[in-house]
Amino acid sequence: MEKVLLANIDNPKSAEIGVYEASGGYDSLRKSLELAPDDIIETVKKANLRGRGGAGFPTGMKWMFASKDPKFPKYLVCNADEGEPGTFKDRPILEKNPHILIEGMAISGHALKAEFGYIYLRGEYPAAKGILEEAIRQAEAKGYIGDNMMGSGRNFKLAVHQGAGAYICGEETALIESLEGKKGHPRIKPPFPVNVGAWGMPTIVNNVETLSNMPFLMRVGPEAYAAIGSKECPGPKLFCVSGHVNKPGVYELPMGVTLREIIYDHCGGIKNGKTLKAVIPGGISTPVLPPDKIDCPMDFVNMPKHGSMLGSGAVIVMDESVCLVKVCLRALKFFEHESCGKCTPCRDGVSWLRQVLARIEGGEGRPGDIELLSEVAGNITGKTFCPLGDGAASVVLNFIKHFRDEFDMHIARKGCPIK
Amino acid sequence: MKSQIADELECVKAKYPAERAALLPALYLAQRKYGWLSAEAMDEVSRELRVPKATVRGVATFYAMYRHKQVGRNVIQLCTNVSCMILGAERLVDIIREKYGVEPGGTSADGRFSLVIMECIGACGTAPAMLVNTDFHESLTQENIVTILEGYR
Amino acid sequence: MIKVTINGREVQLDKQVTILEAARRAGIKIPTLCHFEGLEMYGGCRLCLVEVEKMPRLQTSCTLMVTDGMVITTESEQIAAARRGMLEFILTNHPLDCPFCDKAGECELQDLVYLYGGTEGRFTEPKAKHPESNVDPILARNIERCISCTRCVRMCDGVVGASAISMINRGRHTVMEPFSGGKFDCEYCGNCLTVCPVGSILSRLYKETYRPWQVERTVRTVCGHCGVGCSYDLQVRDEAIKRVIPRIGEGLNRGLLCARGRFGYEFVGAKDRLKKPLVRRDGNLVETTWDEALGFIAAKLSEVIKTHGGEAVAGIASVRCTNEDNYVFQKFMRGVVGTNNIDSAARMGFSGAQAYLESLRGQGVSANVIAGLAKSDVIFVAGGDPTMVTPILGLEIRGAAKKGAKIISLDPAPGLEFFNPHKIVPSLFAEGAVLESLLCRAVSARGMTGELPHLEEAIRAAVSAECAGVAAQSGVPDAEIEKASATISGSQSPAFVIGPDIVQRADGNRNLFLLAALSYVTGGRIFLLSGKANEQGAVDMGCLPDTLPGGRPLAIDGFRKRHEDACGMSVPAREGLSLMEMFPAMADGRIKALYVIGENPAFNLPGGNSIKSALEKLDLLVVQDIFLTETAKMADIVLPALSWAEKDGTFTNLERRIQRVRRGVNREGREDWRILCDLAGRMGAAMEYASSEAVMSEIARVSPVHRDLHYSDIEAGAMQWPYHGEPLRGEASTVSLVTASARPTVGSGRFALLVDRPLFQSGTLTRRSKALLKLIPKATVKMNPLDAASLGISGGIVRVSSDAGSVELEAVIDSSVQMGAVKISNHFEGAGVFGLMTKPPVDPVTKAPAFEGCLVAVEPLKGDAKS
Ligand SMILES: Cc1cc2nc3c(=O)[nH]c(=O)nc-3n(C[C@H](O)[C@H](O)[C@H](O)COP(=O)(O)O)c2cc1C
Ligand code: SF4
Ligand code: FES
Repeated sequence: MEKVLLANIDNPKSAEIGVYEASGGYDSLRKSLELAPDDIIETVKKANLRGRGGAGFPTGMKWMFASKDPKFPKYLVCNADEGEPGTFKDRPILEKNPHILIEGMAISGHALKAEFGYIYLRGEYPAAKGILEEAIRQAEAKGYIGDNMMGSGRNFKLAVHQGAGAYICGEETALIESLEGKKGHPRIKPPFPVNVGAWGMPTIVNNVETLSNMPFLMRVGPEAYAAIGSKECPGPKLFCVSGHVNKPGVYELPMGVTLREIIYDHCGGIKNGKTLKAVIPGGISTPVLPPDKIDCPMDFVNMPKHGSMLGSGAVIVMDESVCLVKVCLRALKFFEHESCGKCTPCRDGVSWLRQVLARIEGGEGRPGDIELLSEVAGNITGKTFCPLGDGAASVVLNFIKHFRDEFDMHIARKGCPIK
Repeated sequence: MKSQIADELECVKAKYPAERAALLPALYLAQRKYGWLSAEAMDEVSRELRVPKATVRGVATFYAMYRHKQVGRNVIQLCTNVSCMILGAERLVDIIREKYGVEPGGTSADGRFSLVIMECIGACGTAPAMLVNTDFHESLTQENIVTILEGYR
Repeated sequence: MIKVTINGREVQLDKQVTILEAARRAGIKIPTLCHFEGLEMYGGCRLCLVEVEKMPRLQTSCTLMVTDGMVITTESEQIAAARRGMLEFILTNHPLDCPFCDKAGECELQDLVYLYGGTEGRFTEPKAKHPESNVDPILARNIERCISCTRCVRMCDGVVGASAISMINRGRHTVMEPFSGGKFDCEYCGNCLTVCPVGSILSRLYKETYRPWQVERTVRTVCGHCGVGCSYDLQVRDEAIKRVIPRIGEGLNRGLLCARGRFGYEFVGAKDRLKKPLVRRDGNLVETTWDEALGFIAAKLSEVIKTHGGEAVAGIASVRCTNEDNYVFQKFMRGVVGTNNIDSAARMGFSGAQAYLESLRGQGVSANVIAGLAKSDVIFVAGGDPTMVTPILGLEIRGAAKKGAKIISLDPAPGLEFFNPHKIVPSLFAEGAVLESLLCRAVSARGMTGELPHLEEAIRAAVSAECAGVAAQSGVPDAEIEKASATISGSQSPAFVIGPDIVQRADGNRNLFLLAALSYVTGGRIFLLSGKANEQGAVDMGCLPDTLPGGRPLAIDGFRKRHEDACGMSVPAREGLSLMEMFPAMADGRIKALYVIGENPAFNLPGGNSIKSALEKLDLLVVQDIFLTETAKMADIVLPALSWAEKDGTFTNLERRIQRVRRGVNREGREDWRILCDLAGRMGAAMEYASSEAVMSEIARVSPVHRDLHYSDIEAGAMQWPYHGEPLRGEASTVSLVTASARPTVGSGRFALLVDRPLFQSGTLTRRSKALLKLIPKATVKMNPLDAASLGISGGIVRVSSDAGSVELEAVIDSSVQMGAVKISNHFEGAGVFGLMTKPPVDPVTKAPAFEGCLVAVEPLKGDAKS
């Protein structure tokens, strides 16, 4: 497959506007500016583009809701908070191919009649901030964005807003709060951001990768786009693979490629000839899978049928040397650290889970602890304010579901059986 | 009695429809000027943006990247999340602790390094990884980490 | 119409509300913790979960709006299990210290655990420890008990607008803290106490001495501090006020209170309350009997009247006493003594200002509902910080600002700092020039309607000058004034909030005229701030030298005749002396006797020693009070009275709402009106009432404004102007406008002396409230940082001297004080600002004293540069 999102990134000057222009950069924007905004939204719907931020929500539909809202101004926000552990797929775009994102945002801004765009960039990507700001300056200087984009009479102003270390700000309403200068507490929904978002105005939040699909999508048209990868959920997709594989990294592959193909065909299999023990397929919040479940097609529609989720496409591969109780504990430490503290089950329940796991991992597990974990996780599930707390509970439930004996053994042997 | 951060803040404010939105950037600016977010620094941000100071503090303490005590000349932000952990990040914490005498969350006696344990920093493909100040260092090993850190005085 | 089904029952709703509210209306209670009526929606505790048909997850009823046809179940096994689960989670972080916790018995968490059952103690991990913080003088903070509902923060930030506390950190480490992390250093309204569902925030006034079930009596009454008149409950045990709590959502304050109201009750039980009548013997005040004391007064007063006539007697009524007290007082003075020399401390600004505004725009022009401020789109504030003078009214302004109203403040009002005010700060005492320029612009922008010809004529005469030209005198750039003017002209419903500082001037009437005119031209409403509980009442009861009860001018014979007939006593025709005119009259012997109830002129009036030396000249000084005040110490006879918490009656607030004051504490002693009636009897006049209610019945007969107004009406709800009676409408045909220029300066210092009106102190009463005293323990002088720096002052003790004397005070550097001015309050014995003021002139129209001319010198005291 032709590299779309990661085109040019092997070129050391890939972030420069000239390099981008040389491979047809900003042509799609020029073309799109001649189209009526609603026609672009139709195109996106037809292409069946789904958001790459994790939930896989149909992008065209989200845009339509926002576009129908009569309030102005509207804001377009790019979610570059990339905080899901294991995820590093947006970073190469941000650092090495910023113009594809800028062009994508400009097209989207036009489609949505949004004149202001923000890139909410996680604080942990300091280099990307400079690169993006420079790229924005270049694009503005060339008249691609800013006032009267390419003479179209349309305006689009773009700015980078730097986060400050809070995973929850990846959640779109928490992100909006943070953009407004508040704590990243998720907001009550409804109203949804498409109607009442930043500063009370219709706001569209899309992932970096989602928006970066736009130049290509507009170039090839919806039919050609939809022909890539899986039927239900097409298009190119970035997969970021880490852990015990021979060739970790970011791969641009068609949607629907199987997990097995990713690990063995693209990443060269398990490192040092060891055996595969477990895979987290879509970032730490997604259900862990045992080795016999890796023939699943990686897309938003099919993964749930196979007991997990596509999430952010962050594949964490673990070989036989890994203690899964420890991994589970580390994940829960993460959720405890990142819980915003707003709702009871996540704030107190997740912390409780972590404390019990810490005991088990530390060799002080007690009979009944696993049942306790399951019950506590069950009391969290479905009752949290936002998906973060639910995700934490699901992590525990799925590790227990697939690897219960390892937990049992920790309790029985008062410590880790692997070492 | 001109505020330390007033000028830079003017440009930042212009990016947003409401002054309040400049709070996160303002805290970064204040942190840069003062080294950390002392009461004085937060008070200054409060006055500049006309956001009550308790509110400023509430926001500032919510985010992990703002510092609420004096830090060393260099801040090591080492990731220990799953991808880094399974590739040996914990051992690196021990090395830093032993070599420079700095505990996670603390600062070395000579003020050279502070160590912050990070959640995922988006370098899992080249794990383990760390940020020192604003520089990324990836594919760390027990050997190269010391060489890298020696570059920071 | 929205129809929903809750627990099988159909409920009809006229508008979209939350499921919680819909259930409440159907009489179904859903448990909640983080929800609190009036606070911003939150949805954090997850206790109010319910089942909604067609929705896969349980939903929080406090955040989800009903839609037509929704089918809701509020109790089921699944729901109970979920709630039990949430409570179990909360308890993982909450100590089981109910036996020691002050909140036990009224703790929402305790009640819910009782309802849904505890858990079998499955949580065995160690709990987080946070020692209770008691570093604050007023509030204790126990974070271990905190359940992160954030009600306190949403109250402080969202409703009160003080934003003094916040939830810091995140996740499990989230705790409530004030900015300092220790002391609150806040407005101390204590509204966080009202909303804390557990024992995390506690009042140190009653901590560990109080259990809710030990309350003997809960009495609904009205606050006795400022002119807003907040409703609250006194909780009493052993004839002492244990605490003051508001009722959620009730009263004009809707359950909110300020520091003075909530924590300023301790004076009632102060040890130095007067218990027995005192009489002066051999130069000393000694205890005596009521009989002897009253006999003495009757004899002495009769003698003065006989030799010098009734007009040689003057009376000062009380802005802290009830309407009934004040009515009886003026009746006694007019009918028994035979004088119109009656006034009160309302003369310090409020009464004269109101009378003048009414002469321009009609009676009741300032009787506007405080809650109506919320509907204003522009609020113009002049003459003081409303968040300090009248705190709850100040909150209303903040609330309006939050909803988008524009605030223009002609003052550095620090309490509005975070509400995006357009601050116009003219050079000292030059507000008039700004107002004139604004009026001039408003007239050309809006024109006039012809409704009040007398006023319009005066306006035309006043604005002949060029708009910009006048502005220049104020030191405010023309563009600033133009901006404010555009805001005012573009307003649909402006409000003009007028505080004392702009009235207490030699040319106060000019400021008032301009404000009245501005409000007239722009269709605005006027709010006249009143710092004392019953200033309006004292006015309406006729405690004025020229006005009878109900605001009827004495000078019009018809009114006087009708009044005499109604109350069965004759009233002298000659206008009396106003408050500030009384003292020169005492000094030159025209007045021989003074009768004071509930006032302390020796301390509370400006004029340095001139007031005291005038009082010394009297043949007879009678003081009725609850404390031995500076004035009482000079009296011939002192009679102990009851405080507002110990008697029945009514107060009239600044919006002219009449509210019931109820006896909460039983104390031996007599109401002021009863003392006066007894005295009248001894002087041969029959004034007898069975109760305060009977006094009100007479008022309802005598005062045309209060016609047919009885306690039953007042009790049915607060009574709002214009009651059932008839106000006088704009009858004036000429406008008295005296454009006296500002008072010439006196004194040799370089600083203009201003009156500080802090939130936590208001004088005699708050000085005896221990809690408030801790907040401002001593008198200070506030000055601008630049001025202080120029004198090398960075704190420490300084000497402030005027022509009238000098005091040594701690200097406080405060950037809200204008350059060239210093501010001193009037609260501490021997260090009150009024003692420094050289005898001030009075405004010829309002008869209010003028404060602007007094200059003081400030010098640091050596060896004590920094404390
Ligand atoms: C706890 C949490 C964290 C999230 N983090 C991210 C993130 O880092 N980046 C992202 O694009 N979306 C993240 N999301 C998803 C966003 O809420 C949102 O769905 C997404 O940005 C929409 O973009 P899309 O439609 O292009 O996928 C997160 C969601 C949750 C609940
Ligand atoms: S689940 Fe609750 S506490 Fe956790 S992050 Fe979401 S809102 Fe915050
Ligand atoms: S009351 Fe509804 S979530 Fe707390």
